[in-house]
Amino acid sequence: MFRPLMALGAAVLAMIAVPAAARTERITVHGAALVGNLEGNAVDREAYVFLPPSYDAKPKKRYPVVYFLHGFFATPKMYDDLVKFQDAVDAAAAAGNEVIMVMPDAHTVHKGAFYSASPTTGDFATFVARDLVGHMDRHFRTIAAPASRGLSGHSMGGYGTLKIALTHPGVFSSIYAMAACCMTPRVFTIDQLQKIAATTPEQAAAATMSEAGALAVLAAWAPDPKNAPTFIDKGIRDGAVDPVFTGRIAANSPLVLLPQHLDAIRGLKAIALDVGDKDSLKSENQLFSDALTQYGIAHSFEIFEGEHGNRVAPRIRSKLLPFFGQHLAH
Amino acid sequence: MHEREFGMRIRNLATGALALLATAGVAATAAPAQAQNITAPAPAVPAGITVQAVQVPGPSLMGNLEGNATTREAIVVLPPSYAKNPKKRYPVVYYLHGFAIDGRNFYNYMKVADAVAANAAKGAEFIVVVPDTLTKMGGSMYSNSVTTGNFRQFVAKDLVAYMDSHYRTIAKRSGRGLAGHSMGGYGTLVTAMTYPGVFDSVYAQSACCVSPRGETVESATAMAAVPHDKVDSAGFGMRAGLASAVAWAPNPKNPPFFVDWPIRDGKVDPLVIAKWANNSPYAMVASHLDALRSYDAIGLDVGTKDGLIADDTLIHEELAKFGINHQWATYEGTHTDKIGQRFGDVVLPFFAAHLDK
Repeated sequence: MFRPLMALGAAVLAMIAVPAAARTERITVHGAALVGNLEGNAVDREAYVFLPPSYDAKPKKRYPVVYFLHGFFATPKMYDDLVKFQDAVDAAAAAGNEVIMVMPDAHTVHKGAFYSASPTTGDFATFVARDLVGHMDRHFRTIAAPASRGLSGHSMGGYGTLKIALTHPGVFSSIYAMAACCMTPRVFTIDQLQKIAATTPEQAAAATMSEAGALAVLAAWAPDPKNAPTFIDKGIRDGAVDPVFTGRIAANSPLVLLPQHLDAIRGLKAIALDVGDKDSLKSENQLFSDALTQYGIAHSFEIFEGEHGNRVAPRIRSKLLPFFGQHLAH
Repeated sequence: MHEREFGMRIRNLATGALALLATAGVAATAAPAQAQNITAPAPAVPAGITVQAVQVPGPSLMGNLEGNATTREAIVVLPPSYAKNPKKRYPVVYYLHGFAIDGRNFYNYMKVADAVAANAAKGAEFIVVVPDTLTKMGGSMYSNSVTTGNFRQFVAKDLVAYMDSHYRTIAKRSGRGLAGHSMGGYGTLVTAMTYPGVFDSVYAQSACCVSPRGETVESATAMAAVPHDKVDSAGFGMRAGLASAVAWAPNPKNPPFFVDWPIRDGKVDPLVIAKWANNSPYAMVASHLDALRSYDAIGLDVGTKDGLIADDTLIHEELAKFGINHQWATYEGTHTDKIGQRFGDVVLPFFAAHLDK
């Protein structure tokens, strides 16, 4: 389910000379939606803001904003090292597509927030849709309207893109989910749950990607404020997996959420999904595309030649930014 | 996921509502045979009370695949001073009926007009409105479904807009309460979680369908085998299952029910069970804490002789676990025998304590 981002390293592009005016700001955004989270994740979050080259030279111009959500077991810096977002934003501007791009930090104790509404992790969905959007509109010359806001992300961030679009309608008008994870409900066995319940904080800190992934999704989807120190629901009742535990997790799957949030998804101007033909997430992305088709929701779905992470950087340039250039109001 | 897990949950809707049939037994046997819905004789309207049956347009219901009426009857009960004080505005209590009954018969059964009169005599005046959400399967489940129609949105948007534009309501959140019994108690909880900002306070009486619904291969197979033209005579429990299925796992490509059945290739389909779970209030609490915290007050109650007491206790405990303030009561009674009395004695006074006057 979670492919190491490290695998993406091969795709690093040669540095392109950056025009003098282009700049990246690293800002801190207060997350009112994260206050009181039980895991102790920072409520003031770093975000990378990539400004287009004309931003300082044209002090009256306002710009559309493309929000980008990073993946699991990663940080904004790791994604930026891979993608070189500023170069991508500059290249898009040179082609007439001037946007601000912003990537917030959603790294948590278990190495990924899963952009959900959890008292354990913090409500990162509301953080993105309300706190971050509000901060950007107050502090940058954005076109502060849904028609000029796009939401996107890769892997866990692709999941976050769909989750937020379904549950926070009216904020973004177009979405692009790259290789989204977690489309179908995840199911845990008794053995897995018993092992997770016995995990010490030290073991959690040293967890493998797969182990951390289980802890992170449970913290996001099956919170239990009474079960310190993980604040994750044990999930076992009468010697079996508690159906309500399975249900809570299911209630966070885009494939499950879709039929109850059709109005939200129909309110979007454009929807794009993609996934690599060698990505293990291909089949669940196909299922979600099929479900959109079943409910008559227009969207684009591309299966490209590639793996989970080896084409993120070029496709942000050749697909994602042109998509938002076409659909966001400038 | 293992099939045995699915089958362990009781058919909680049926447990409670069968009792409703038993209580209303005389009326039920007198009802027309084609649809096994509950009826109750119209009570006298108390002096000073005005009762109006209005037709409410439902844009949220347009295009539903089941062919349910998109304009719905609602029974509106006006308090004694309404006609005499043409400038006064009133709080509104929206009251949602249960399964296998329509809005008018629920109004009759609950003696809503008596409750409004009794509370007005104590100085607490309300408009109460009972919308009709009876569907082809026996109940809307107050969910949003392309098959059934978006009845949850109908209540939270269309009906509220109708009341605010046709009556002298206190047309803001602090003047609106939402309550319901059984399926309507369920509707109260899920509407509260998914449409925050509309209602100030909510009260669920004997809420059904709290836990995720499960199926066995046998029960799922039986459900998928019901002929479309035999639903009316399929029995209360089966109709409740069918109503849940079309409300929670609609499929516009699978006529005539337009549903994803909970069985596929001889096995219980976990994705369908998951879609149902996504409509379980118990499973929904953890991901809707902000909405739940936004209420002025939340009330829950259930009778000690109601089969739903275990389920309703679970959601009480879940709210407590997440620190959601609410009031919780159990009382000596069945699924039905005290509910009309408690609407007047407990539910309306609850709203009197919380809604703007």
